[in-house]
Amino acid sequence: MAYYFGLLQTIGIHTLLGLSAYILLLTGQLSLAQVGFFAIGAYVSGILTVIFEYHIVPGLFAGALAGGFFAFLVGFPALRIKGLMLVVATIAFSEIVRLFFFNLNWRVMVNGVEVGPDSTQGFREIRFYAANGWDTLDVVLFIWLFVILIMAMLWWLDRVRAGATLRAVGADELAAQSSGVNIVAVKVAAMTFGGVIAGLAGGLYAHSATYVDHLTFSVLLATFAVAYPILGGLSSVFGTLIAVIFIQGVLIEGMRFLGDWRNIFFGLLIIVAMNFRPAGLLDGNVVAQILRIVGRGKGSDGERHA
Amino acid sequence: MTNLKRILKPAVAAAALSAMISPALAEETVHIAGWGAKSGPLRSFGVNSEAVLKAAVKEVNDSGGIMLADGTKAKLEYTYYDSACNAEQAISVARKVASESSALIGIGPTCSGAAAAMFGVFQKTVGDDTDTGLQFPILTDTAVRNGLAKISQWTFRNTPNEPDMYDKLFAWVAKTYPDLKTIYGGTETDQGHSNGTYSKVIVQASKRHGFDWATGDIEGVTGDLGSGSAEVLTSSSNWLMADTNFSVQARAFKKSNADIYVISSHPFTTCGMLKELKRRRAEPKLLIGLTSSSSAEVMKGCAEAAEGMIIPTSFAPITPAAEKVAMLANENGGDADLHSAAAWENVMIIKQVIESVGIDNTPESLMADRRKIRDGLEMLEQTQGLIGEVQRVQDEGEALKPYVFVQAMNGMWTVIHDPRATN
Repeated sequence: MAYYFGLLQTIGIHTLLGLSAYILLLTGQLSLAQVGFFAIGAYVSGILTVIFEYHIVPGLFAGALAGGFFAFLVGFPALRIKGLMLVVATIAFSEIVRLFFFNLNWRVMVNGVEVGPDSTQGFREIRFYAANGWDTLDVVLFIWLFVILIMAMLWWLDRVRAGATLRAVGADELAAQSSGVNIVAVKVAAMTFGGVIAGLAGGLYAHSATYVDHLTFSVLLATFAVAYPILGGLSSVFGTLIAVIFIQGVLIEGMRFLGDWRNIFFGLLIIVAMNFRPAGLLDGNVVAQILRIVGRGKGSDGERHA
Repeated sequence: MTNLKRILKPAVAAAALSAMISPALAEETVHIAGWGAKSGPLRSFGVNSEAVLKAAVKEVNDSGGIMLADGTKAKLEYTYYDSACNAEQAISVARKVASESSALIGIGPTCSGAAAAMFGVFQKTVGDDTDTGLQFPILTDTAVRNGLAKISQWTFRNTPNEPDMYDKLFAWVAKTYPDLKTIYGGTETDQGHSNGTYSKVIVQASKRHGFDWATGDIEGVTGDLGSGSAEVLTSSSNWLMADTNFSVQARAFKKSNADIYVISSHPFTTCGMLKELKRRRAEPKLLIGLTSSSSAEVMKGCAEAAEGMIIPTSFAPITPAAEKVAMLANENGGDADLHSAAAWENVMIIKQVIESVGIDNTPESLMADRRKIRDGLEMLEQTQGLIGEVQRVQDEGEALKPYVFVQAMNGMWTVIHDPRATN
């Protein structure tokens, strides 16, 4: 079962990464900085558990806070720009972060072994789970505890005034501002919360993979982060999860046997999916139908999300 | 109804017969797994490794298979997976093979970065019950970056020892070309192997053997491995693996007026850099390359520009066995080079180990068999390589492979020196 549990770990971590972009997309911001926050979370939590021998929980907490702090800082200048300019600016941020870790060399002796980030050689042996007797099921449960927690928070958020405010800003910034919504606060809050989630995901990734280097945090991963919620649909928080299962479970793992053809099918299936479901795999109509089936919908959610 | 009985009777009989003989047949196959990059920019590594692996498995089976503990012979069977030179995917394949297959050992992955991550999910110390890492033996063929096998006692490598290779290379260059005094170079800084070997091994080896850095001494470089590595990078003219323009770097190389140029990168950017140097008519007296570039890709991509380049390599078709592997690799759609040829040696090592430790090869004995193979690998003191005997560094899981110096001549890698001949 280690393989399936490992796959569940990957799906959980990528779901968190996708959700960090989801909350920003709700406010109409397309950010490729999520991978930068992900990298910050990965290195901060890895350094804390490996060099300072912290338990993973405070390590993850610190990684998430660091991701949120930098997202907060990025949030303000990002207010001045939007659309494609924001995409370019956030790519630049992610590249700065990537190159920082590319040059980071902090090697110390811990219990007679030299550990820590070694610039281009990467940061090896982030082995908290295995070294502390956690088996793959324990790790899956640990990761999914955070996934469920974050998904529940976002699901709840979508059902209270704050969520309506996020969507209002995303739908029409000017109209929202005219209605008294503080655009600055909403956008920076979304960016910060997204950074916290990405930082948390990064910390979980570093400990799951046991190794990170600058190549991990490429533009490709940043693209995946925004592709998950876009492909899954912004109508529901579950869309991101479905997209991650589709990409990581079906396209990457399920088609491994295709070798080089896998990349071609990968792109092709994404195009097909987006053509047949332009509003995402889990669009407003599907959400409304599901809610009707479970007897709660009455059509209102479908109308709201459509 | 009668017709139905006529059809059913043989079918039931066949099914019963099949049920009786299938366990016996299953026990006659020893399963191993391989994985590497079969997609993405480094797919040639995986394609070449699989081509050689396929040939080696056929060779074992043609010679009767592998002897099991009870004296019976089993056929060798392999499955090859694409891990795309990606850490997550390499870990996923390792978990899949270890937990969902009957493979006794794995050969892979291709890339050092993927290996560094993958080895981390294995149990660090054998027998440590508090460590829940994977317990599955790995014998890697390709990932060359220094010291990777030390990450876990379950991981072994059959890859060349670059510090030794470049030390001997510069000693030989100093003796063979006494007029050459200065050196200059660069690397693809975003690749751990190219960068690490260049900044920690090559430049220090050149210093050790009396070569001067063309633009003035590099602070901190004493000749010891790794000394002044950060300064080495800032004193060089470097590039990235995705770069396609090398004009700035080539200009710096030419301006250095060095006798020797070192280009420490994989075949793709090595060719880009070499072509730009040629275009600028930068003509060093000697070119030295990274081990990974002693491959067919360079000859296919830039043979003319690479003319004269010298590289130490652990594979060259200089023995009948090596010639045979080179030919079989071509027949299977790949090329034998220092990376992929190791897959052949690995299969032969696995056969040797399995036959020496004796395995039962039953579903019940799978974990015990894997452990026996791991222990058998650790016990090995030397193995027979394609160009000579390979010494094993037992407590580190590493290899000391024989090597030769090859030079690009008329579109081919030609052996110009065999260090063993002078020992």
